[in-house]
Amino acid sequence: MNVGGIELVKVRENLWEIPATGQMKVPGRIYISQDMIEKGLKNDEALKQVVNVAHLPGIEKYSLAMPDIHWGYGFPIGGIAATNLDEGVISPGGVGYDINCGVRLATTNLEYERIKKRIDRLVSKLFNAVPTGVGASGAIKKLSTMDLKKVLTKGSVWAVENDLGTSSDIDFTEESGTLKKADVDVVSKRAIERGADQVGTLGSGNHFLEVDVVEEIYDAKVAEVFGLFNGQIVVQIHTGSRGLGYQVCDDYLKVLLQASNKYGFKLPDKQLACAPINSQEGQDYLAAMQAAANFAWNNRQVIMHLAKNVFKDTFSMTESELGFKLLYDVCHNIAKIEKHKIGKEEKEVCVHRKGATRAFPPGSKMIPAKYQGVGQPVLIPGDMGRYSFILVGTDKAMEETFGSSCHGAGRNLSRTKAMKHAKGRDLVGELKKKGISIQAKGYKTLAEEMSDAYKDVSDVVDVMHKEGITRKVAKIRPVGVIKG
Amino acid sequence: MTKSYRFVDHTADIAAEISGSSLEELFTAGAQALIHSSVDEKQFEADDLLEIDLSASSREELLITFLNELNYLLITKKWLYLSIHSIKIFNDTDVYELSVELNGTELKKDIQLKQEIKSVTYHQVEIVEADGNYSTLVVFDI
Repeated sequence: MNVGGIELVKVRENLWEIPATGQMKVPGRIYISQDMIEKGLKNDEALKQVVNVAHLPGIEKYSLAMPDIHWGYGFPIGGIAATNLDEGVISPGGVGYDINCGVRLATTNLEYERIKKRIDRLVSKLFNAVPTGVGASGAIKKLSTMDLKKVLTKGSVWAVENDLGTSSDIDFTEESGTLKKADVDVVSKRAIERGADQVGTLGSGNHFLEVDVVEEIYDAKVAEVFGLFNGQIVVQIHTGSRGLGYQVCDDYLKVLLQASNKYGFKLPDKQLACAPINSQEGQDYLAAMQAAANFAWNNRQVIMHLAKNVFKDTFSMTESELGFKLLYDVCHNIAKIEKHKIGKEEKEVCVHRKGATRAFPPGSKMIPAKYQGVGQPVLIPGDMGRYSFILVGTDKAMEETFGSSCHGAGRNLSRTKAMKHAKGRDLVGELKKKGISIQAKGYKTLAEEMSDAYKDVSDVVDVMHKEGITRKVAKIRPVGVIKG
Repeated sequence: MTKSYRFVDHTADIAAEISGSSLEELFTAGAQALIHSSVDEKQFEADDLLEIDLSASSREELLITFLNELNYLLITKKWLYLSIHSIKIFNDTDVYELSVELNGTELKKDIQLKQEIKSVTYHQVEIVEADGNYSTLVVFDI
């Protein structure tokens, strides 16, 4: 099959290969159905970006893409690449501007049928408690530079030390909510300035806090381990490193553009600016990126704490009655040094996940002991009008995708087209008819983020399931949404 | 006056084709596109002047640095650019420099932005000169 001048060779039902040609160091591999190629990929430059990523020095095995592939800056969204530490590079284009954009999900003891009449009130209180919207400032006071630097070093641990969480929350966060090689000295003053009053803020666009109900269980055994049951109320939070992360990415794109010239890299795209991982520039970016990642984990931790308090207050319950517990927190824009099998040997590589989620298998020491019997929870948010999914990581993911899976749905319509589609429609009323109570900063957000603007996330998740990369555990649907 | 900007459809972010009969006009068009994406600028009046000097190793990088500076002023410093008072771009061997005076206003209270621009990207930024006109696409990651 030829798509936009790029040859795609079918490997399996939902796996396609771009043979290595020209300056590509490895082939490309895309997990996607033929139907999704026909509907979306033909009009998208994302495949070209898969080819471009294959040019990166030190790239191992394949330039990968997940079924939510669409074009981004440098890497495609849904792109994954692992580079070796000897001659391999690190690239901010493989992480994204929103460093450690990610999702967390908390379970509760609440049953939807028992509390559905109070959802409107719950959503209203959540909207008042959690700062949302463009440029929103935090629900906690603006941090001093010294405190902010502690956040950048400690991540979620800072929140717990300041009574904004429990030690259990740390255990159920990827990397325990802290990447340990963060270095505040390589984070610019401007980035710190941008982040100072944004701790505990949701942001805008596709970020959200959702109250969901578990609608369908696919794997009863894993669902039990995850603490999920049919009809259960759960809470999803999707946000990232806010202005601090965006600034770190911007700062280091400049540095690594210079570095690319210095090290003689000929790159097909400026947004793939990179440096050898073991160079000063590469190490500085890694350390700054880790600091921004820690900011994001702390952010999601603080927001979850605010949400928990609202739940306790709304339902007049104690902590143990409510049973508000973090199931897991995953990042989907990150680069991490991990051990993976390359050929016959296991070696350390830098895994870039740009709109892709870690999906480690049963037995992995990198996931909580409670989940080692079944595998890592993988949280995949859909749009605000349909559903999201909870998946579990597998051995196949470790073998084929550096232990990675998809991250979400991806947009279908531009914001301009979405606004046109929304014209004259009562979007709040439409969601209400579906049983969804929503509060957003403005009609514009609702229009831009409506379901019509997004692809169907179930198509994405089904490809991963059929290919054995991640398995479906449960489907959840929104009943309450707050957006910026 | 031939500086202009035109938004083009983009699935996830904001893209604008900008043009001008000089680099200075091109940069001004980019600034207008950025600010129009963020605020309803007609609501504000300029009562302040701010001078900034920037440098970069290419024209494209200078453009992105300049636009990101305006975004930083708005989001973090709460200072809104409204128009250019004077602008000069010059280059000496490998360095491009910009010296600009901005008309704007300090925002005394929080305003509702149309959206927060995370950053101005390098995606497809390539300043092309043809028939006395400079143009490029710029994409704002939101």
